Amino acid sequence: MDMDGDIEQNVKRVQVRFVTNLQPPLKVPTTAIAIPSNLTRLGLSTIVNNLLKAGSSDWKPEPFDFLIDGEFVRMSLEEFLIAKGISAEKILEIEYTKAVLPRKQEDPCVHDDWVTSVDGSNPAFFLTGCYDGLGRIWKDAGMSTHVLEGHSGAVTSVSIINPRGFESADQIHVATASDDQTLRLWKFDADFHSNKTAHVNGTADHPRKVVAYKILRGHTASVKSVSMQPSGNMVCSGSWDSTINLWQTNEFDAEGDLSFVKKRKKGDAVVEPQMEGEAVSTLVGHSQCVSSVVWPQPETIYSASWDHSIRRWDIETGRDSWNMFSGKALNCLDVGGENSALIAAGASDATLRIWDPRKPGTLAPIFQFSSHSSWISTCKWHDKSWFHLLSASYDGRAMLWDLRTAWPLAVIDSHKDKVLCADWWKGDSVVSGGADSKLFIASGISVQ
Amino acid sequence: MAKVAVRPESQVKKEKKGRRSENSTRDDKSQVKEVSSGRNATLRKSKVNGQEFPEDEVHDDPVLDNVDPGLADVDGSASDDIHEVVEESDSSEDEVTPRNTIGDVPLEWYKDEEHIGYDITGKKIKKKEKQDKLSKFLDSTDYSKSWRKIYDEYNDEEVELTKQEAKLIRRLLKGKTPHAELDPYSTYVDWFEWKDAKHPLSNAPEPKRRFIPSKWESKKVVQYVRAIREGRIKFDKPKEEPRFYLLWGDDSSLSEKTRGLSYIPPPKPKLPGHDESYNPSLEYIPTQEEINSYQLMFEEDRPKFIPKRYSSLRSVPSYENAVKESFERCLDLYLCPRARKKRINIDPESLKPKLPSRKDLKPYPITCYIEYKGHKGAVVSISTEATGQWVASGSADGTVRIWEVATGRCIRMWEFGEAVKHVAWNPLLQIPILAVSVGHDVFILDTGLGGEDEKKKVKELLHIEAPTAGEDFANTTSPVSWLLDDSLGGLRLKHPKIVSSVEWHRKGDYFSTVMPADILEIFPPLYIALLFSVGSKQAILIHQLSKKQTQRVPFKLHGLPVSSAFHPSRSIFFISTKKNVRVYDLLKQKLIKKLETGLREVSSISIHPGGDNVIVGGREGKLCWFDMDLSSQPYRVLKCHPKDITNVAFHPSYPLFASCSEDCTAYVFHGMVYSDLNQNPLIVPLEILRGHSSSNGRGVLDCKFHPRQPWLFTAGADSLIKLYCH
Repeated sequence: MDMDGDIEQNVKRVQVRFVTNLQPPLKVPTTAIAIPSNLTRLGLSTIVNNLLKAGSSDWKPEPFDFLIDGEFVRMSLEEFLIAKGISAEKILEIEYTKAVLPRKQEDPCVHDDWVTSVDGSNPAFFLTGCYDGLGRIWKDAGMSTHVLEGHSGAVTSVSIINPRGFESADQIHVATASDDQTLRLWKFDADFHSNKTAHVNGTADHPRKVVAYKILRGHTASVKSVSMQPSGNMVCSGSWDSTINLWQTNEFDAEGDLSFVKKRKKGDAVVEPQMEGEAVSTLVGHSQCVSSVVWPQPETIYSASWDHSIRRWDIETGRDSWNMFSGKALNCLDVGGENSALIAAGASDATLRIWDPRKPGTLAPIFQFSSHSSWISTCKWHDKSWFHLLSASYDGRAMLWDLRTAWPLAVIDSHKDKVLCADWWKGDSVVSGGADSKLFIASGISVQ
Repeated sequence: MAKVAVRPESQVKKEKKGRRSENSTRDDKSQVKEVSSGRNATLRKSKVNGQEFPEDEVHDDPVLDNVDPGLADVDGSASDDIHEVVEESDSSEDEVTPRNTIGDVPLEWYKDEEHIGYDITGKKIKKKEKQDKLSKFLDSTDYSKSWRKIYDEYNDEEVELTKQEAKLIRRLLKGKTPHAELDPYSTYVDWFEWKDAKHPLSNAPEPKRRFIPSKWESKKVVQYVRAIREGRIKFDKPKEEPRFYLLWGDDSSLSEKTRGLSYIPPPKPKLPGHDESYNPSLEYIPTQEEINSYQLMFEEDRPKFIPKRYSSLRSVPSYENAVKESFERCLDLYLCPRARKKRINIDPESLKPKLPSRKDLKPYPITCYIEYKGHKGAVVSISTEATGQWVASGSADGTVRIWEVATGRCIRMWEFGEAVKHVAWNPLLQIPILAVSVGHDVFILDTGLGGEDEKKKVKELLHIEAPTAGEDFANTTSPVSWLLDDSLGGLRLKHPKIVSSVEWHRKGDYFSTVMPADILEIFPPLYIALLFSVGSKQAILIHQLSKKQTQRVPFKLHGLPVSSAFHPSRSIFFISTKKNVRVYDLLKQKLIKKLETGLREVSSISIHPGGDNVIVGGREGKLCWFDMDLSSQPYRVLKCHPKDITNVAFHPSYPLFASCSEDCTAYVFHGMVYSDLNQNPLIVPLEILRGHSSSNGRGVLDCKFHPRQPWLFTAGADSLIKLYCH
């Protein structure tokens, strides 16, 4: 920080004070220091790292990101102050956080075909759907433990039904949707430990095959999206027949309605009765393919459709209580952010838009991120942070966004082809699968 | 008093009479004005005249009944008599009360007598007893109409005026005409024919003054003569020479002075510059090399003058071209026709037609987001499924592929081994089948998409085919044989000639195939004979899928068929030949219309979803829009593409249409058709979609709109399919 001070006398200096919410080892003394105003993020990061090093000698440099007045610094300090009209006379408070960057790229999980969907809502494993009609459970990078077999068409969407109760229940409960117009529910023992021993024994190459316990029929066209109720009792699905169906996931409750259809034998798998389930109710209103459904609260469902509308459905009445017309065919949708109320959606263009449904009377998105160059296939909010957002696009890139800056925080560029799906996993990793039949895991992302 | 009361009446009457004599032609109702007080005078006259008129004639006018019926038709001189007669016949009271017969004598004479006069029989008429003033006053206050009472001195009686009479009096007092209905200022109808009068109005001789010179004129002349003599008036004033003149003024201003002839100033010769100086600076002097190089130049490009240096003016030789150049200049001036060019200052922007802004016409396809890669050869034809979930493509590499629109994934592929010409998806959602034309065959393929019952339905539809049926068709010499193709899982229709295109009817049961007579290319001499024998009618066939039947189009075609199309809502069939488009009614089996394209060669046709508008793409890059209600000539011809248009397409729901061409671009237009018949369709060019690359000289071969989104698929010769989104 001092080096360029004597080289260039004419560089303006600003009085700054570094503050942070980070834990003590990452805290720097809050005394005001004067730094040259032409520093960028990198320069500021070096200063902080130097300060930390002065505190403890065995400090490893770490990238930081800097916020002034709740906005990320993405240019030189001087330009930023001029652009925002902030006076350089006062002592400037700069908040720093750990830079949100993938620090580690793990081995890709190779699939047989394009990876269409991924769900990482459970920290112990993640689930992928693939064009070969199989769902796969991955314990970690490159470690497939279970294969869900049964769909006759490509698996288009997957959802883990028991994300939180996993620790208590040792059963994995998932739902998959497919192009063959059905959804299937799967339930199996999460015997990772036994599998681990198997892995040790060298049988990891043969993941266990699982057969669905229930087939949900009722859609008359490809099912595009599936989402589970937070309690896990129901799932909803959006389809090309422009309806949203609600299904019971319960195995035994509605046994009267169910009919045991076939008994199948699959290799050495246990003979398991397969039940067929019918939709509990159908939400009609969209006029085109329902491309994405989200079920954030027990009584509301959000859906996005190719008929350019986003709707919020009330489960009790079965009506859409809120309807927004966006003007583009929508591909993906997620609800999250501030108070879990913001709607992020990717349309048939390269812009990621975020709406606030609490603002009445406006259809204008409150944020627009347009760094992608093709259709956005997935957008996901981070489930802990209000600011962080993940998007994947057909241009082969996945991007991490922070609402506090218009530039992407990080670009995950490992895919060779379209990225069809992406999700957060374990809170600090991003799993993304694409048309290159690979699923990449970028980990070590320090989202607070 | 009595006299005073009567006199004014008679005066009024006299005035009337005077007026009547003035404009005797008028129907003067004003004279009617006889109040009853004046009646006895008129009565007397009537006695004298002794004339009688039938009463009924008089009573014609109901309005005037009360007042004086005689007024109704007073006409000229007769008016008086009528008047009197009326008076006589009028009132019953006349007979009751004996009338005074004293005549027109001053009533004063009877002032002191007890009688006022004598009646007809000569008896005295006694004066009535006079009321005293108090009782008079009381009467007047009691009786509301007492103000209307008049005392008649002559007859010594009280007369009560009727309302109408009172009104008449009031009008007279105001100086108006007595009757409100009379218009005193009515337009004057001149009933004398002044034109072509045989005789002049006045026969008076020309007045003398017309022959006498004016005195005032002669006086004026004398004045002028004096003024001229005295020198006060001068002719031909010496012209004032301008003291200063513009030395460097433009000669062109001369033209303003010479008004009569349109003088055009000659172009000015070039003024001499520094290089024409006798001693120019060194840099003006060309080197010897340059001078030599001038010799190599064309005569016209060669500089006319080569500068040279002379030490003094004395040594300058005479200019050798002086005579020649001045002669040429003269020739220029004399022979070169010059014309004054009037430049019109029009803003070229204002000449452009007013079109709505492109921003207001959104959405329309703009950018390419998805490419469908996989074909090895040029993609010749594409077709979208009714929901827009799938798109099928046929390629010159002999394959047909089905793609998922949203992801760009190829989900199904068939190989034929021969270049695919055309693919068409069945418009019905329930029957996901594909018609493909390959060489001489048309295949109906089961795509295997859809649910169980749909699959079953398709299987039934495509399965009934039995070998016996084939024999039947062989017997009936159908042009087409229906076969079952197991390897591809569908039907195969063998055609006698190469099939270029397949089009489905909107109900998904019928489809038409076009076989342009390829014989032309092989045996040109044979072609004409064939065309007249079989070719023309066999070129287009209509097939029915449910019955597996084929029939020829019962119309005679004039020319080579290029493509065909079904009307989107009615049983109308469009066949485009190379020159024009014929519109047939399939039910009545007759020609409805013939659209004259004016194109050299038609390549494609598309029907507006409303059915009344047709666009036709031509080989030379022209696109014709026909409004079939308007005329059989194109409503608009759009010349956009520099090369051949390969295909045109309408959007099924948005007001969009597109054309694609060999120049590797596709154009998107806004084509709004209004339901109001008075409003012509609005056509606005919106976007040029680029991105395809040329391969073997071919560009974009097909374009289709997404059925529900404002997106456009284009198929290129570069083996790519692109999706352009809004």
